[in-house]
Amino acid sequence: MTDELRLAVERRGPDGAILHTKGYINNVGGEEIASRAYELMDAGVRTLLLDLRETKIVNSIGISILIEIIEKAIERNGRVAFCCLTPVIYKTFHIMGLANYAKIFDSEESAISELGLAA
Amino acid sequence: MLRLSHFISDLQHLERAAQGSQAPLILEAFTRNTAFDIGAVYLRDATGLRLAAKSDRCFAPDLLQLDVPAEPTSDFRMPVEPQPLVVLPIRAHRDPAGLVALWSAAAVGEDDLQLARVGAAYLNALLTNHRLVHEMREGDFQLKSRLWELESLYDIGLSIAATLNVDELADEVLFRMISLTNAGRAALFLREGDQFNLYRAFGDPPALDDSLIVQLISSPDAVTLDDGLLVMLPIKGNNATIGVLAAADRETREGVGRFEENEMRLLSLFANQVAIALENARLHREALEKQAMQRELDLAATIQRDILPKAIPTVEGLPIAAFSKSAKQVGGDYHAFFERDGVASLLVADVSGKSMPAALLVSALHAAVQLLFAEERELGDIATELNKHIHRWSAENKFVTLVMVSIDREQETIEYINAGHNPQYIVCGGEIETLKSHGLPVGIMPNSRYMTQRRQFPKGSFVVLYSDGITEAENVAGDEFENDRLEVVLRETIDATPAVICDRIAAAVDSFASGAPQKDDQTIVVARFVS
Repeated sequence: MTDELRLAVERRGPDGAILHTKGYINNVGGEEIASRAYELMDAGVRTLLLDLRETKIVNSIGISILIEIIEKAIERNGRVAFCCLTPVIYKTFHIMGLANYAKIFDSEESAISELGLAA
Repeated sequence: MLRLSHFISDLQHLERAAQGSQAPLILEAFTRNTAFDIGAVYLRDATGLRLAAKSDRCFAPDLLQLDVPAEPTSDFRMPVEPQPLVVLPIRAHRDPAGLVALWSAAAVGEDDLQLARVGAAYLNALLTNHRLVHEMREGDFQLKSRLWELESLYDIGLSIAATLNVDELADEVLFRMISLTNAGRAALFLREGDQFNLYRAFGDPPALDDSLIVQLISSPDAVTLDDGLLVMLPIKGNNATIGVLAAADRETREGVGRFEENEMRLLSLFANQVAIALENARLHREALEKQAMQRELDLAATIQRDILPKAIPTVEGLPIAAFSKSAKQVGGDYHAFFERDGVASLLVADVSGKSMPAALLVSALHAAVQLLFAEERELGDIATELNKHIHRWSAENKFVTLVMVSIDREQETIEYINAGHNPQYIVCGGEIETLKSHGLPVGIMPNSRYMTQRRQFPKGSFVVLYSDGITEAENVAGDEFENDRLEVVLRETIDATPAVICDRIAAAVDSFASGAPQKDDQTIVVARFVS
């Protein structure tokens, strides 16, 4: 098992993007996501979807950073959503309150459709 | 009024400002909305009051070793000239967080001072509010984290109850442990004999050397290493340390740190969960093995039931009796009877091993014996062929001790082969004699040859064949029945029928053992030449 986070950015139109994560969302991984998310927000992205299908572990620091990203997006009149969570992470996000401020989708397709992300 | 409104509006920008950008905003709010056009903002850190923002024309020093004043004051002395006209404390919920020092090139009045004081009061209220909100959110996060821990432990408990797949459980426990303790690395070692082998690892696994293993085996608690950065927890099974759970490099926002009390408690709970999971899996595996063994025994028992004679043949003038009792449902003893042209043959054999391997060897022996006797061969030839067959087709180290006798009533003789079997008995004219072994057990050497032995067997004589389960039967003290006790029974039953002799020997062995467990199969075959 590896602990290094990898990120892939997929722009969806002028104000949408999908961040695909792979690996451990911890302090380092979370900061990496935050850095890319803020870059995207600065570039005009208002709807950010995080696809976590290849992430099996998130620790509490990672969660606090994800909360900061959500708050930052809301401040800028944007929104963050998540998709393809493992059952453990899905439950964790509900317990930790992320689900109160960010939508969670089962699949990337349903997220793209409901969030109206451009092709 | 408009000026105050702008002032407050500027200060409100602080609410959304990042931690590092607050000082310039404070400075800008005071210098833009009051008569003080020059200022400096100091924030407290570990070294003292550090300059965080200042106007271009301000010569304030970088560091002040001074206390934050309790109230706004015009008498605050700083190591700079000119002295500030007013110094305003920055406080967040009673904690002195810094100060704002203000100067003005122009004259200022009491109204200007009052506006600065109002601004400072508002700023402190804002920061206090900010601090309280932050603390509330932090408290909320901690509360939710505790709930997350409880839910995780509950879920692991459910998983342990739902699956016996150690692979899946190991991954789940490791993932959840890493998540909840913020560990950067983790590993699970499982014990195999005296070794602790790495079973799962997340990141680089820590080294587990012999001295550490000794320490972990003897310790009921976690062993902390590397100044608290590495924790090793023994996983205790019912009677022994069955594994080791390791966690290292607990993450913090600042880097890595020691595992705190709460994390240590969690790690201990995870080690207990792993212990339960491993013990459950072991018990289940043992139950399955037991079931498989039982199935094997049942199958082997069926094979052997079909092989052993279902009835004792009736031979005129030669009553025969037999007794057979297996030690472990399936044994290695075998016996058979044959009759041809008035010659009755009896065979008792004991194959090495127990259970299915022994049953298969008995099966092979049975098939060969049936064929060879059907070919009307003499005993020595049969034994020689049996030896070749068993040696060629049985597994290494498998062999058979056997005794075969053929009683020719017309000639009043008995022929026999004793291949590595115990000394067998014939009783002629009241004398007890033995038929000793004169060759190796069959199956040991490929080219062993066996010569038929012959002796007189007049009317009234009887032969007693038996396996070593009779003479080596043990009582609770560990003493063996031995041949002396068997010979006593033979003397006592010297005129009895084969059935009575058989029963008396079996009863004597049973009485001697007096409840001690039977360790080996027991077989007795008795035949008396009566007419």
